[in-house]
Amino acid sequence: MPRRVNKTILLIYSFTAIGTVAWLGAIFWAPYLRSHSSPWQGLVYAIFSPVCHQIPSRSFHFLGQPLAVCARCLGIYSGFFIGLALYFFLRGFCRLALPQTKIFILVSFPIVTDTLGNFARLWETSNKLRFATGLLWGAILPFYFITGVAELALSRKKGDGSPREPSPQK
Amino acid sequence: MSNQRQGMLRPALVGGAVAGVLTAVPLVNCLCCLWIIGGAMLASYLLAKNSVVSLTSGDGAIVGIFAGIMAAVVDAVVSLPFQALNRQFIQKFMEQFSQFAEDMPSGWEKWMERGTGGMSMAWFLLGLVVSAVVFAGLGALGGVIGASLFGKKKTLQVQGVKDETPQDPGDRQP
Repeated sequence: MPRRVNKTILLIYSFTAIGTVAWLGAIFWAPYLRSHSSPWQGLVYAIFSPVCHQIPSRSFHFLGQPLAVCARCLGIYSGFFIGLALYFFLRGFCRLALPQTKIFILVSFPIVTDTLGNFARLWETSNKLRFATGLLWGAILPFYFITGVAELALSRKKGDGSPREPSPQK
Repeated sequence: MSNQRQGMLRPALVGGAVAGVLTAVPLVNCLCCLWIIGGAMLASYLLAKNSVVSLTSGDGAIVGIFAGIMAAVVDAVVSLPFQALNRQFIQKFMEQFSQFAEDMPSGWEKWMERGTGGMSMAWFLLGLVVSAVVFAGLGALGGVIGASLFGKKKTLQVQGVKDETPQDPGDRQP
């Protein structure tokens, strides 16, 4: 029996996907603007300054200029994009379900360990490793974001505090 | 519903304030967006601690959004003195350096004057709005994660009677 697509989940997924693509695009657009001496490059870099230290030595470069975010942040956002693709195949738009806690702990362990180790000056990891740990962790994040926002939207549609659709999966 | 939202305010304020301060303070703000996600998780934890029923993912999302917006406001306010200090430090450094350096970039005095000028209110508000939007998204993410990790209450079973507390419809899946 074919499953019915929940339009709210589909809408939230679509907006999230569009926003993610735009966000990743802006990360690469900033160095493009800087390489062409555009006066708007400062504004684009400034958009990302609240969420990233933007240290050039910890960032990948594009067209000879540092990206708008560091390697770890780029990994997280790239992983989020990959996670969106995985969400489409693993969840679809018929049900909401959170990942198991042990899986979250498993994928979080590398980035947490690496971040704390660098913060405490125990070691200094390469940009590639920072990117990889961010990529792994970022891939699981859409399963939380879309579930939470969709559940919030569905509860508001129903007008009470408890969402009714979609029905829980066993 | 309004009572529930009022109950979310204090955890969101605490989580957002912690995240905002850590994001603004130099040297510790190197963890980038993870402070915002962590602050939202803290907000979810505090909300779950004071709640008698399990938190839904939607509850986590909304307390996380509130925490993210709070973090943006706190970050904007707390970072102001640090920006001023940074400008003063750079100006003094350049003045000292110019006494010893033979060749300084032409027009550096004008660059310093322009760089040490105060931030206009328009730019401050624009930065605040952009930060609030971005931090709200990160906060929603952190809030949902926090609700998933800390928000579940164990079902009580009385002998002969099973207590049916509301369960989170977001079921666990491998």
